[in-house]
Amino acid sequence: MAASEESAVQLHSVHKRFGSVDAVKDLNLSVEKGSLVGLLGPNGAGKSTAIRMIMSLIRADSGSIRVLGGDALDMKDRIGYLPEERGVYRRMRVGEFLHFMGQLKGIPRTGLKSRIEGWLERIELPGVFRSRCQELSKGMQQKVQFLAAVLHDPDLIVLDEPFSGLDPVNARVLISTVKELHQEGRTIFLSTHQMAQAQQLCERVVLINRGEKILDDTTSNVIERYSSSAIIVEPINREDASYASLASIAGVASTQLHEDGRTITLTVADSADARSIMSAALATLPCRRIELARASLDEVFIRLVTEHGGHARRSLQGVA
Amino acid sequence: MARQPKGFRLDRIMVVAIREFRSTVFTKGFIIGAIAFPLGMFFLVALIPMLMSDHMVPITGTIVIADEDGSVATAAQAAFDRMRDEPSTLGDSARDLLTSDAAPDLDDLHVLSDVGTTVNVQVKRLSITSDLTDVRAEVQAETLLALAEIPSELLDADPSVDSVIALLVPSKTSPKTTALLSRTIRDATVIARVERTGTDLAKARALVRQPKTDAARMTREGTQASESLELRLFIPGGFMILMWIATFTSANQLCTTTIEEKSSKVIEVLLSALSPTELLAGKIVGQSFVSAIMLATYGSVGIAGLAFATMLDVVPLSAMLMFIVWFVLAYFMAAAIMVAVGSAVSDLREAQSLIGPAMSVMIIPLLVWLPISENPTGWLATVSSFIPPIGPFIMVLRTTGAMEPIPLWQIVGSLIVNGCATVVLIWLAGRVFRIGVLMQGKPPTPLELLRWARAR
Repeated sequence: MAASEESAVQLHSVHKRFGSVDAVKDLNLSVEKGSLVGLLGPNGAGKSTAIRMIMSLIRADSGSIRVLGGDALDMKDRIGYLPEERGVYRRMRVGEFLHFMGQLKGIPRTGLKSRIEGWLERIELPGVFRSRCQELSKGMQQKVQFLAAVLHDPDLIVLDEPFSGLDPVNARVLISTVKELHQEGRTIFLSTHQMAQAQQLCERVVLINRGEKILDDTTSNVIERYSSSAIIVEPINREDASYASLASIAGVASTQLHEDGRTITLTVADSADARSIMSAALATLPCRRIELARASLDEVFIRLVTEHGGHARRSLQGVA
Repeated sequence: MARQPKGFRLDRIMVVAIREFRSTVFTKGFIIGAIAFPLGMFFLVALIPMLMSDHMVPITGTIVIADEDGSVATAAQAAFDRMRDEPSTLGDSARDLLTSDAAPDLDDLHVLSDVGTTVNVQVKRLSITSDLTDVRAEVQAETLLALAEIPSELLDADPSVDSVIALLVPSKTSPKTTALLSRTIRDATVIARVERTGTDLAKARALVRQPKTDAARMTREGTQASESLELRLFIPGGFMILMWIATFTSANQLCTTTIEEKSSKVIEVLLSALSPTELLAGKIVGQSFVSAIMLATYGSVGIAGLAFATMLDVVPLSAMLMFIVWFVLAYFMAAAIMVAVGSAVSDLREAQSLIGPAMSVMIIPLLVWLPISENPTGWLATVSSFIPPIGPFIMVLRTTGAMEPIPLWQIVGSLIVNGCATVVLIWLAGRVFRIGVLMQGKPPTPLELLRWARAR
C-alpha cells in the first residue's frame, strides 16, 4: 500500500453499522493519487456506504478516513462526486443548474458559461444549455450530473455507479471521458457492479462483499492470478473415459464439460501447479487443444462472491 | 449523518439563498398569488369608486307628491333644489351617517353611494284626495320619476305607526334612485310634521342631535389615553395577520422545496458541495427574502390603506420598527420548524402528520386575537408573549394595539425569551436537517427526532 502522502483516499479500519447490519466492516483502503480504482461488489455490499463515508456525508462508527490529506468536508472544492441517487432540479434549465453547481464549487462567474458550454460539447450534449432538466432523457440527465461533478476540475473524482442505466452509446461517451480525465492526472475512484467496464477502465480493483474487503489488487494481477486457476482441454476423442481420466489428475479440483460436448474445463486446486497439470493432461490423453483459461473480471467476481457466502444480504434501508 | 466543515462559507450560502429566492419568486404562482392579486385587489378597491363616479346616472325628472296640504311637497322640493344647487350636501349626508351613533338602514347606505350623483328633480303637488289613476299611468309609462302618497295620519303630531308612505316608481328605476327619493320624502314628511306643530325646525334638530362621545381610558399612571375601536381591534389584527401570512407562506415553501430536493435526489449532489448547515442557512436566508417581499407588498397596501383612511397616525413609527424585529423572530422560528419537518419526511403527505401539531400551536395567535386586542396588558397577553413560537405574534398584537405603553420589562423579556428560542430552534433544526436530508423511508417518530437532535 502506498504511503499516506501519496494517497488521495485513505481508509483505516473503518466500520459502519446500521441497526443490526454491519454495512462496512474493518475496511482498509488506499487510493493512490493519479490512479483509477474501481470499488466492486454486489448490490448491498456496502459500496455506496463506503463512498458516502469517504465524502463525509455519513460518519463512520470507528476508524479513520483521510481524503486528499485531510477531511473531505474541507476539500469539497477539490472533489467531484456523482452520487448513486441521481438528482437534478427538474424545472431548472441545464445551464442554470450547472452554473449553480459551478458556483457552489467555487468556480468564478467569469468564464463559467463558456466552460459549461465546452463541457456540454465534450460529453455530446450540445444545444441543451437552455433546456429544462425535466425535458432531458434519464441518460442525458445523468450526463449533466456527471458534468456537475467534474466541471470544477477536481483532483479527486468519486463516481458511484456512473454507468448504470446508460445505453451503450452514452456509456461509451462517459467511459471515454473518465479515461481522458485520468490521463489528465486526476484520481478517479468509482464503484460499479458492471465488471466489463471495470476491467476496461480500472488499474486497480477492490472487491467488497457483505461490508468486507475480499480482494484488492491491480486488475492485471487479478486476471493473471485467476487465469491460472483453470485449464481448458479439448481431447481428440470424445469419450467418457477421457473426462474421468482428466478428473483423476492430481491437483485438479473439479472438471466441467462445456455445452459444446468437446471442451472440458479443469479447475486447478489452490496449491496445485497449472503447468504440471497441463503436462499430466497431455500425457493422459491426446488433445486437440490445451490452454490456460484467461479469466474475466466477471468470473472472478462471481467466484469470489460465491466463495464468500453470496450476496443474499438485504439492501440497507433507511439511509439513502 | 452529514458532518460539518470547520467554518461557514458565506459565498456558498448566498448562492443557495439566491437560488432559493429565484425558484420561489420567479414563478407564475408566486407572482400571481402573492404579488399581483393583493395589489390588484388594492387598486380595484381604490379605483372602483372613481370609475363608478364617472358612470353615475343622473336623477332627473318629476315626482308627484300627493299629501294633505302640499307641505311635504314643498319641503321635498326644497331638499331636491338643495341637492341640485349644492351637490356636496349628499356628501354631508353620507358623512353624517358615518358619525351617527344610530345604525344606518338600507336607504341610508344607498345614500352613501349617491355621493357625486347629479340630482335635478321637480316636485308636482297633488292632494291626497285626488284621483291618481292617470298619475300611476304616467309612472308606468316612465314619464314620471315617481308617485308618493303621504297619508294624512303621518303628518299628525302623534303619527300612526301603522301608516306608511306609498312610493311608486317605474319598473326600471335603480335601487339607488328609489332610495334617494324615499329618504328625501321621509325627511320632508318629518319637516312638514314638525312645522305643523309650530316648532322651530332648526331648534328641534339641534335638540335631538346626538352628541359625540370622546372615550378615554385612565391609565395606571393617572394620565388619560384616547380610545379607538379601529386602533385596538382591526389594526393590531391586520398587522398580526400580515406577519402570519408573510411568515408561513415562506416557511411552507421552505418545507416544500426541502421535500422536493429530497425526492428528486438532488440533495446529495448539493451536500457534495457544501455542508448541511450551509445548505440550511442558504435556504432559510433565501426564503427570508421572499417573506420580506411579501411583507413589503402587503404592508405597503396596508399602509396605503391607512393613509387613504387618514389613519396613518394611529400606529406609531416605533411600533412599526418593532414589528420588523418581531417578524424576524417569528420567521426564523417558523422556518426552523418547517425546514426540519421537510428534511425529516419524504413527501408532502408525510409532512402533514408533522406539520399538523406545529400548526395547531401556530394558529393560537389567530384564536386569541380578539381577547388580546380587548385587553393588551391582561394576563393572557402578558403570559403568551413569553411563549415561543407564538410570542412575536402576540407582541405585535399588543404593541400595535395598546393605548398605553407595554411595560418595558415585558418587551425586553419577550425579546430575550423568543430570541433564545429562535436560536435553539434553528440549532435543533440544523441537527435534524443534517440527518433527515439523507434519510429515506418511513418518517421518524418524535423519539427518533429527539435522537437525531442529540446525535453527535
